[in-house]
Amino acid sequence: MQPIVRVVDIWKQYGDEGQNGIALRGTNLEIKPGEVVALFGKSGSGKTTLLNLIAGLDRPTKGRIEVEGRDLESIGESGRTDLRRRRLGFIFQFFNLLPTLTAYENVYLSLELLGRRDQKSAKDALAAVGLEGKGARYPHELSGGEQQRVAIARAIVKEPTLILADEPTGNLDTTTGSQILELLQHRCQKHKMSLLMVSHTPLTWKFADRILHMVDGVITEPASCTEITR
Amino acid sequence: MRVVTKSFLRYLIKRPGLSVLQLLGIACGVAAVIGMTVSARSALTSFAMAVDFLRGKSTHVMERPAGPLDEKTLEKLMLDPAVRYFSPVVDRKIKLKTGESVRVLGIDPFLDRSIRPELSNAPFSETDVKNRQTYVDFLLKETTIFLEKNLATDLGLKPGEMLSTSRGNFQILGLFANPSGEPIILMDIAHAQRLFDLSGKIDRVDLILSDEAGFLPRWKEGYRIQSHSQKKETLLAMLAAFRLNLEALSLLALFVGVFLIYNTTTFAVVSRRRDAGILRSLGAQNSEIVLSFLAEILIFGILGGALGAIIGHLLAHFLVNLVGSTISNLYFFVRPVEPPWSIMTILAGVIIGGGASLLGGFLPLLELIRIDPVQTLSGRTVSRKSRIKTQRVAFAGLAIIVVSIILLLLSFINVYVGFAGVFAFILGFSLLTGIILIALGPAMKWLFYHLGGLPGKVAAGNIRQNLSRTNIAVSAFMIALALSIGLGSMIGSFRKSLVWWMGTQLRGDLYISTIAEIQVPEEFYEELKAMPGLGGIDPYRNVQVMYNGFQISISSIDASVLQRYARFGWLKGGNENWEAVKNGGVIISESFARRFKTKEGDRVTLDGIEGPVALSVGAIFYDYTTEHGLIMMDRSTYIKIFGDTTINSLGIFIDPGNPQRAELLGEIRRKAQERNLPVLTSKQLERNILALFDSTFAVTRSMRFLAIIVAFFGITGALLTLFLERKKDFGIYRALGFSTSQISIMTVLEGLGMGLVSFLLSTVGGTALALILIKVINLRSFNWTVFYYPEWQPYVVTGIVAICASLGAALHPLWKVCRTYPQMQIREE
Repeated sequence: MQPIVRVVDIWKQYGDEGQNGIALRGTNLEIKPGEVVALFGKSGSGKTTLLNLIAGLDRPTKGRIEVEGRDLESIGESGRTDLRRRRLGFIFQFFNLLPTLTAYENVYLSLELLGRRDQKSAKDALAAVGLEGKGARYPHELSGGEQQRVAIARAIVKEPTLILADEPTGNLDTTTGSQILELLQHRCQKHKMSLLMVSHTPLTWKFADRILHMVDGVITEPASCTEITR
Repeated sequence: MRVVTKSFLRYLIKRPGLSVLQLLGIACGVAAVIGMTVSARSALTSFAMAVDFLRGKSTHVMERPAGPLDEKTLEKLMLDPAVRYFSPVVDRKIKLKTGESVRVLGIDPFLDRSIRPELSNAPFSETDVKNRQTYVDFLLKETTIFLEKNLATDLGLKPGEMLSTSRGNFQILGLFANPSGEPIILMDIAHAQRLFDLSGKIDRVDLILSDEAGFLPRWKEGYRIQSHSQKKETLLAMLAAFRLNLEALSLLALFVGVFLIYNTTTFAVVSRRRDAGILRSLGAQNSEIVLSFLAEILIFGILGGALGAIIGHLLAHFLVNLVGSTISNLYFFVRPVEPPWSIMTILAGVIIGGGASLLGGFLPLLELIRIDPVQTLSGRTVSRKSRIKTQRVAFAGLAIIVVSIILLLLSFINVYVGFAGVFAFILGFSLLTGIILIALGPAMKWLFYHLGGLPGKVAAGNIRQNLSRTNIAVSAFMIALALSIGLGSMIGSFRKSLVWWMGTQLRGDLYISTIAEIQVPEEFYEELKAMPGLGGIDPYRNVQVMYNGFQISISSIDASVLQRYARFGWLKGGNENWEAVKNGGVIISESFARRFKTKEGDRVTLDGIEGPVALSVGAIFYDYTTEHGLIMMDRSTYIKIFGDTTINSLGIFIDPGNPQRAELLGEIRRKAQERNLPVLTSKQLERNILALFDSTFAVTRSMRFLAIIVAFFGITGALLTLFLERKKDFGIYRALGFSTSQISIMTVLEGLGMGLVSFLLSTVGGTALALILIKVINLRSFNWTVFYYPEWQPYVVTGIVAICASLGAALHPLWKVCRTYPQMQIREE
């Protein structure tokens, strides 16, 4: 089966800061369709950099990234934008909802960018994350957990093949964090979406099919979720 | 509407105070341009209408090169085959009892019918029976006139009533309409000749020629014949420098406006950076983000432009009178019509507002395109990069200043190059603001810590740390303040130069008849000359003549008297320069020398009544009476060349040690009053000239004021943006235990700090601007040297304005702090 994401010998160096500026040092990764992967590691280990590179928001210094078999470098900026628009969903630690849009509009935005002006899907997505009736609220009128639910709805509404989640529970308490992860896992399974979660908390482990460990820009310890939880 | 666009536009509603400030800022910038342009155009249209109305159907005008012409000329004209129609005209001014000067046209109603039927038919416009009597009265009764309708309305006069003037009372036979709005008194030419002591003389002849080519060679010598288009061009050319300065002033206001738009747009980009990053991560294309942002910019531009057009139209009603009175004072009478309201004004405002917004938003848009989503999403600050960027911008600023210096040095090519240099200098200097803010950071921290304790220290730090916002606000405010100092210093220096100049030229004890419309009878001059004990009398005559196709002024004086009593400011040499004038030579004003590139020893050729006369230039003197150039010669030379013995005014000089001084002055006053001639001391004359000077700069002062208002909105917007963007920080302050009053002090000091830095920078920029305006722009526009006198007033006034404006700008954020601070939370969104 063709992997959704294939990362081959990726290096990333920021600026000309020598050894200190190297965020990734020859990292390799493959994610299969429908697979939930948790990537954990300490702060500054290069997790978010890898996520940004897979999303095509940043470009590697060296190496190759393929998403659904397409080389991100060869498809150009417009191709990467199109990829984010259609095939990828993004969830952030600080939710990153647009403050001037309501919860519903934030979700609908994803569909509109796709060219699908489907209001029902947006409403359904909100209902699916338990926010029925709260669509008219602005982000500042929602709790942290609710905001993250909107972010998840925004990511899943377009049914992408891969969701990239950067510390999705980092800004939430344990109970809410667990609820969010459960919701995320459930939605991914239901829609057969792959999920790459970046985290440095063990909370994510039990929701992942595979757990990867990143140290100093290299994925060093591939391990299965069941092994860890056992 | 697309959700992406909606997400940007919602900011306008979410931050209504800021939106209103931004809108008002743009509106004021546009209003300045619209107000100035509409009022200048209205004044010039009125002028053109007045010229056309007075011209009637005539094709040419015939005059002596200087002074009135002999009416015997008419006999010869009658026989010239090229002349289809002609009409002799006496064209003078009379002073009404209200103080207003009004044009008096003396015409022959029969001859004038073919030239100006609307005007010359005025005596015949009543019903038949009454008509005959009116016509007879007009021809026979010396004190009968027709009056322009608007003037009659203004004075509350009706036909049959009397009009009081400095030359007696006149019975109004009827009224006539003048579409140009110029108040005119119409009189039979013979009565006008008697009224103005012009027996056998007329001022000009208006002609309808059938054969211009045949006519001109026959009348070449001793006459100035201009086609009406030439005449109009000549008159309009006189306004060239004035118009250029009006245009430059409105452009300066627009410049501040564009800078303000740049300011607000950059703020918007800064606050949208994160949103743009989010949108990019969701797959939005750069073009979609840019278009949404463009929509926001254009909405501001269009709404602000439309609002600005309305304010500008109202402003034009105020400015049109200022512009009109300045033109009337300096050049020729204009009564500008109130600018009519037109939908085109709104359209112009929208175009200017939209265009300025696009121009001002161009760089911020580029920044938006280049936004790195990874950085914005991670919330990473780019402090080191921002410092490097500030340094780069400062280098660019220095480079632009170098370019501006080159442009200013090249301004001899064209004054527009000089103006480009001024704009480049302002732009370049404004780009240095960031680096100066960084440099002043420690000093500001020290000062504010001592002024306001810890909140003061934090305030200084905030100004330094939020450079991307504070830098632009400070530079926009600095530009407006520098304009204020620059224009204020320029006007102050000009005023002092004028005072110095008056001290060199107006050294007489008394001046008789300094009002242009009243002339001094020659026999009165002779009578005074015969009075024993007087040191000297200077019979002054000023006329406008054509020189090399341009209108210039010629003054005739008594060289011996001025040599003895006046202390002219010479470019070279001293009072010995008068010797050349006494020997039939001339002296020229600096403006003439620069305009026609003439120097001492050159010869100037003037068209006299007996053909061209070449005169040697003895010296060049400083002069501010006309920017078009002045040739001064002795009265004897003038009469020989032009045959004109008219005297405009007399300067009376009595030796300071003369024991009969008081009696002599009293006697002269009495004699002048007997002839109804106004008498002024040199001090009174100086006061009048200074009042005139001040009134001519009223427009400049208005623009200076507007620029500050525009910038005020800028700095208020900046402070408010800073406040809104840092709400989370306020939550942190609260958590740390800062009280509401401490936060208030911090807010006020931030405003004050930005105002103070703006002011400090503006003192340097303003002084440089004043020097550029004086040494380059004034010199190139008006061809005269204004001496730079350092003055403290513009700095103090501007400093007070800066402090008040920055404190005023802090009021809104302060109010918000007091109202909402206790509830503020540390929240991300």
